[in-house]
Amino acid sequence: MKKIKSFLVATLAFALVAPVFTACSSDDDNTKENIISEFAVNDQMVAAQKAKSGKDVAVLLVAFGSTWNNAFLAFDKTKAAYEQAFPNADVYVCFSSDICINRASVGENTDDNGNIVKRDYYEPRYLLHAIGAAKYSKIYVQSLQVIPGEEFAAVVASVKKFMNNGYLGDAHLDDAYLAKLADNEAIFLGMPLLNDPDVDVPEVAKQLNSLYASEAQQGVVAFMGHGNPDTYDTFKANVRYQQLEEELQKLNPSYFVGTVDMPDNYKQDVLARMQDKGFNNGKVYLHALMSIAGDHAHNDMAGEGDEYWDASDEESEDNSWFEFFTHKGYNATVPVSGNHPQGLLELSGVLNVWINHTKNAEFLEDAYHSMYPEE
Amino acid sequence: MKLKQKLAFGLWLFAVCASAQTDIWRSDSIQEVVVTGTGTQHLLKDTPVQTEVITQKMLHNYGGKSLEDILAGLTASFAFAEGDMGSQMQLNGLGNSYILILIDGKRIHGDVGGENDLGLIDPHNIEKIEIVKGAQSALYGSDAMAGVINIITKKHTEKGLYADNTTRYGTHNDLRQHNSVAFRVGKLSSQTNFQLQRNDGWQNTTEEYAEATVLTDSKNKTVNQFKNWQIAERITYQLAPNAQLYAEGSYYKKNILRPQNGTHPSCDVYTYDLRYNNASASIGGKWNPGGKKDIITLDVDWNKHAYYYDYTKGTYEYILLKGEEYGALDGEWYSVLMKPGQSKLQSDQQRVMGQLKGIFYLPYNNTLSAGAEYRYDYLKAPDRTETGTASDQTAALYLQDELDIQKWLNITAGLRLVDNRNFGFRLTPKISAMLSVDDFRFRLGWSQGFKTPTVKELHYRYLHVMGSSTFFNIGNTSLDPQTSNYYSANAEYRGRKFTASLTGYLNKLDNMIALVNVSPGEIPAGVTTAYQGDGSSNVQARMYKNMDDARTCGIDVTMSYKPMKGLALNAAYSYLDTKAHLYDEHKDRVNTVVIDGTAHHKWNASAMFSHTFSPNYALGISLSGRGSSKRYYQNNGDGKAFQIWRINTTHDIGNQNKMLAYKLEFGVDNIFNYVDRTMRPYHLGNNTSGTTVYATFSIRLKYGKRVNNHSITTKQKSNYEED
Repeated sequence: MKKIKSFLVATLAFALVAPVFTACSSDDDNTKENIISEFAVNDQMVAAQKAKSGKDVAVLLVAFGSTWNNAFLAFDKTKAAYEQAFPNADVYVCFSSDICINRASVGENTDDNGNIVKRDYYEPRYLLHAIGAAKYSKIYVQSLQVIPGEEFAAVVASVKKFMNNGYLGDAHLDDAYLAKLADNEAIFLGMPLLNDPDVDVPEVAKQLNSLYASEAQQGVVAFMGHGNPDTYDTFKANVRYQQLEEELQKLNPSYFVGTVDMPDNYKQDVLARMQDKGFNNGKVYLHALMSIAGDHAHNDMAGEGDEYWDASDEESEDNSWFEFFTHKGYNATVPVSGNHPQGLLELSGVLNVWINHTKNAEFLEDAYHSMYPEE
Repeated sequence: MKLKQKLAFGLWLFAVCASAQTDIWRSDSIQEVVVTGTGTQHLLKDTPVQTEVITQKMLHNYGGKSLEDILAGLTASFAFAEGDMGSQMQLNGLGNSYILILIDGKRIHGDVGGENDLGLIDPHNIEKIEIVKGAQSALYGSDAMAGVINIITKKHTEKGLYADNTTRYGTHNDLRQHNSVAFRVGKLSSQTNFQLQRNDGWQNTTEEYAEATVLTDSKNKTVNQFKNWQIAERITYQLAPNAQLYAEGSYYKKNILRPQNGTHPSCDVYTYDLRYNNASASIGGKWNPGGKKDIITLDVDWNKHAYYYDYTKGTYEYILLKGEEYGALDGEWYSVLMKPGQSKLQSDQQRVMGQLKGIFYLPYNNTLSAGAEYRYDYLKAPDRTETGTASDQTAALYLQDELDIQKWLNITAGLRLVDNRNFGFRLTPKISAMLSVDDFRFRLGWSQGFKTPTVKELHYRYLHVMGSSTFFNIGNTSLDPQTSNYYSANAEYRGRKFTASLTGYLNKLDNMIALVNVSPGEIPAGVTTAYQGDGSSNVQARMYKNMDDARTCGIDVTMSYKPMKGLALNAAYSYLDTKAHLYDEHKDRVNTVVIDGTAHHKWNASAMFSHTFSPNYALGISLSGRGSSKRYYQNNGDGKAFQIWRINTTHDIGNQNKMLAYKLEFGVDNIFNYVDRTMRPYHLGNNTSGTTVYATFSIRLKYGKRVNNHSITTKQKSNYEED
């Protein structure tokens, strides 16, 4: 009996000790050292560029990202256009999507000759840190987003983080430099394409109409934007798509603007609006209302073939706009340039709207919410 | 001789064969003792709860390389799809999370995406397997809605020294190794097991649908290269004739190595491999108060199952910074570039369990089992939960009485009371009745199941990249517990030469939890960056949700015929029909669906022959086949029907009474080279690589061991799964 008791005591002791195992952890964690070393890699790259160019102004273009080669080329051309518009500035491009960076670096897609293209892109928080570390005296951060929605909010947050020196202790920027940047009002935030409903929306509508007026004479011209799901429709930015459609329809009633993610503005909603206006058949020209033509433009918009058609659910996300409108009895067309649909950055008139946003960018004041007294 | 050889492999606890040394087949069916259904020992034919057994003889003749191989080949109720992360297993239509896998009565621990890592089980260390379907056992938890698989391992606790080595090698560089060293000195006995499993993997097709086209040079394998090993130690101390203590521990490691030569990042380029570390420690004891038949056991276990990415290329990861070292960034999600050679913990599941159980033989033919159980689950998933960790606590009390009302009528009734920290109390009853008429048994059973959402179902979220398909899987904190009602009726005949069993069942589940597609709007704000993934619409958000209801029903038939000594013919057939109702919020309607991966018809058949030619040589030959009709899936096509045949020969060499004995095994699996070459990511009916061959060599050493089972009778035997 005594032995039993001592056994019970031992078991109880084990029961008390066992949970302690759960608290211990010997797992290697490289997170901090990796962050520090990635700052160093970006810092060195930007320092080398600044030393080479001798310029003292930096423009950072922030895109969501893509893995398509035609999109890489569109970013290259955008960078070149910015270099022309800002001859005194070093221009950098970065992707906010980690997976796009990862996949671009191992070569997600091929060029038109079938060769795998690998491209290294950088992440905004590291690149912006590097620009600060290089102490450019004037910095423009330009959002390449279309609407001032969720992704744009992340761009704003990263700039605020930068100005507040919100980095790891071991990677702090020079406070005096940041204070000077603020004092000199030398950090600028360039707004997304459709930032101002009264100025930008009519301007973009005008630019699009100048390109697609002849298509609109022949049939419907439907634009496919991205949009935010309603639970995180940041700043209620989705309304820009409706505003753009209204502006375009003032120029020609054949224009429609839908999205892939904005509630009540999917392809079936575009179809319903088309039918309301009496467009029951005929031609439908499909264009991407996104900065570049990547996965969405190629698959969700232009996807062609059985794999893009789920007959059991016509409105399914898997059904492309092309197949959807074709199955609905329209003559759908995706105009291409060099085998690919085009993104907005490839339309020089639209690109100029972005460039003008950078040129007219305002000093980033702290409370960005007050900048958006939205309807 | 056959029997003695079996004993040498550790059958000492089961002296069921003692009276039938020359007729091994009888021992398989007539005298087999089972324990899983009630927690108490019964002859298989007399167990009140219908139990299916894979005997040592079947295991010996079949020569399986893994638990999947064994369960798929020797029963008709299981279906498997080996995935990247583990084994997707189904028992009568219900998946891993509804199947309770026990090793010697203890729950195995750890899953990844709901798939158990069956590599934890050493196929060469299995004594036998018992399967009880439905949530029929009050003792093992009401969450086993599909059923319980109890793996009973080999034990060598006799006096002296025992050692064995089994090495199996086959196609695809498939290596399985098992080693045991056991000894007993006085009251102390020790057993050490080591196992190693590895395979280079294989590729059934280079075609893959990805990037909106059919790629013809995909490097994705049908089954990835893997290697795993495990070491386990168990020490037993005989405190008194009626009291025994034990302590045991194990360590396990598994690596899954993915192709490094792919050229399509959307489907076959991998920037990290997968690794699992599993460890356990237990202590416990068993006491027969007053030296009577009554048994009291106490067990305390700690288990850990950790899952890592081992990076092979630079990879940006979205990581939750946690700790004071991050200063103002503490609690912030950050993009961090992980470098080749580095690792990152994805999830660490830990569990502490305490169990106290008593079996009391009361007057008037009552056997009372009573017990209490406490379980603490802890999940550390730094980048896959909102705060980095989550936990859960469950306590349970159970009571079961087996009453022989008449010699021909047994009623077994059980109650299990579960108290979960988040979901409160729930009482689940189980009742079964057995009528005995000569060699016939008729059983009826009804049991309720209750399963609270797991910590992962509540809190886990991660981006799951499966080749060209990317899913963002999200836990759901508003889930309700699942409940089930299982009804079964069984008729069984067990004669000397012929046995047959027919079971019909209906399992009705309410609030069944499943991972279902949801619109992006249902994703909690703040995790959208992870969801957006590569920015393409290829990322499908999926959330754990309670389906309205589901039901599975079917018929299981097993037959065994022994026309002559040394020859056994076995066949099993399983018919299954499943239906689930799922509310589609997008469409505002209820959809009726078939449970993914289920097939209407599954079967297996085998002919097993064995003969002892001389004291130094015995031969065993087994020819076995299995098949399935089409497997249904909601997405990515149905799996094709298949049938696969296999031949295995065993050669026992050397006098089994001597110090050294040997065994050779040669076999051909998938004799007719069946291969499903359906392109990825569409479903396969079966992922076999086609014909494979293998050879096994075993050596066994006994030194100072006395093989003696004559003094043990069935009634005296203790609750062996605790031994």
